[in-house]
Amino acid sequence: MLVVYVVIWSSAVLLGLSAVWGLVWAIRTGQFHGLREGAESIFDDGEPVGTPTDFFPGAARSAASASGTKAGAMEEKWRR
Amino acid sequence: MASIAVTKPAAVDSQELLTRVQTDRSCRQTVLIYYTSAVFWLLLGSVLAILASLKMHIPGFLAEWEWLTFGRVRPAHLTSMIYGWAVMAAIGTLLWLQARMGRVRLPLPLLLPVSGIVWNVGVAYGMIAILIGYSTSTEWLEFPVPVLGFFGFCLVLVIYASLVMMMRRKVHHTYVSQWYIYGGVLWFPFLYVSALILTQAPHVNGTVRAIANWWFAHNVLGLWLTPIGLASAYYFIPKVTGRPVHSYHLSLLGFWTLALFYNWAGTHHLVGGPIPAWVITVGIVGSMMMFIPVTTVAINHHMTMLGQFGHLKTSPTLRFVVFGAMSYTLVSFHGSLAALRSFSEVAHFTHHTIAHSHLGVYCFFTMMMFGAMYYIFPRILRREWSSAPLIKVHFWTTAIGSIIYVVGLGWAGLVQGWMMNNPDIAFMDVVKYTIPWLESRSVAGTLMSIGHVVFAILVWRMLRGDGAEQQGPTLFTTARSLRAQRERKARARERAKGVA
Ligand code: HEM
Repeated sequence: MLVVYVVIWSSAVLLGLSAVWGLVWAIRTGQFHGLREGAESIFDDGEPVGTPTDFFPGAARSAASASGTKAGAMEEKWRR
Repeated sequence: MASIAVTKPAAVDSQELLTRVQTDRSCRQTVLIYYTSAVFWLLLGSVLAILASLKMHIPGFLAEWEWLTFGRVRPAHLTSMIYGWAVMAAIGTLLWLQARMGRVRLPLPLLLPVSGIVWNVGVAYGMIAILIGYSTSTEWLEFPVPVLGFFGFCLVLVIYASLVMMMRRKVHHTYVSQWYIYGGVLWFPFLYVSALILTQAPHVNGTVRAIANWWFAHNVLGLWLTPIGLASAYYFIPKVTGRPVHSYHLSLLGFWTLALFYNWAGTHHLVGGPIPAWVITVGIVGSMMMFIPVTTVAINHHMTMLGQFGHLKTSPTLRFVVFGAMSYTLVSFHGSLAALRSFSEVAHFTHHTIAHSHLGVYCFFTMMMFGAMYYIFPRILRREWSSAPLIKVHFWTTAIGSIIYVVGLGWAGLVQGWMMNNPDIAFMDVVKYTIPWLESRSVAGTLMSIGHVVFAILVWRMLRGDGAEQQGPTLFTTARSLRAQRERKARARERAKGVA
């Protein structure tokens, strides 16, 4: 029974502490600042905001040219 | 690197493109092993699902072999789908997402593929044990205890790889999907180990075991599959449409409230059971608090998609992901309501529960993983999918099939509950009432399984290299890479001519 108690309480305490540590770390390192840039952190110059990145096979080239985005423009230029 | 043509077009920062190609490439072996194994278990799980479903309305079907009786086929279906399909798909996805978002290569290039194989051995061992009669008979934990060794080995490596990628990441900001992934990766091993101890230790028995059991089962959904599913949605919806998340601070609030509340909700599975009332009340309160994270996610996904629905026509990933995201909203609101005592009085212990679980694991999670795979496979193999019509068949069979499944059994379960609560109705009449609906599930399951076979064919053809190589902005084809490809082909033709 002792083993079970130790498992339950030590894991509860560890898990709780790790969550608090995570929150403190996040606040300290400024993870909650600059949220606008944060939201755009998954984009880059190659796949900028405004560029769709997924198409049915075959449809890709025409869809990209039609979208008038950077990628589309590149495709366009290449075809000319 | 040599095999991948990367050029330096004026408009594109080549370093970023290079990093993206390299990170995708570094995931190839590992993600391929996890993904293809996942698809294998999905097919096996579908066969077992249809067997289990048929047996509910044709009880004598294949009953002469004990290893194919309902009591074994059902847990075999569950474990094949959860530990084989769902978890393997989740691990593949989370590793790729982390490499992508942190702009780092996947570490452990040797050990991670090995972990994929070890995980398969664990699942295979557990499945055989269940079918020959050595299940632990604890729902969701039917695998014999030694399987923990296999899973533990892999999970330690996955945690290690996640931490390494977190330390090495080139992007300072922790994107909301990364929060969900770190959460899921750190919570799941803890859940699994403590639940196994708490349900298998001889000291723990009776209702206490049931409490530990449902605390675990519910948390596998909420603190493991849900975070990975939502991490995918928060990455793929913006990435595919090219539009950042509608309200980023809401998304962070959603993560932290999920982290706080979800863990409390599990005991709503035991409403009406012989356990202290306060334990159930805690579960119900936890379920109600879940309205906060769910509402944030629902607002965000819907508002990000607003005005972007046109992309559903052109993007396979988005179709599946948006279907999954809408189902997430539905299943969560429904789940919170279903936790109420008044609702449970009717719906508990009926087919309604099964409809709810498939709304979650199928319509939300499984569809989300299909979406992720449609995005990731082409990028790690640098190949297009081979057939657009087949993708559409996959989408419509699984979407229509799962809707028939969930709506049919959801409704039948409610009526079944009302009938069972009425002492004037004979039990056999209730059973008879459900039979046509159980048959409709077999039809739905067949449709969904057809979709799975079509998907497996697509994956098979992808591995064989049937699709066009690196085309479209998806893979960032550039003038030079296309030229290089043409030249390679010309050389191959030349060689072929030379041989002839
Ligand atoms: C081919 C489509 C599917 C069919 C026809 C199907 C059918 C079934 C059947 C007949 C049961 C037993 C229900 C009962 O005991 O009353 C069941 C349970 C279950 N299935 Fe499926 N299933 C399918 C797909 C999936 C997938 C893809 C997953 C997971 C990713 C899954 C996860 C589960 C779970 C977790 C349970 C236990 C539910 C509970 O106890 O609440 N199923 N399924």
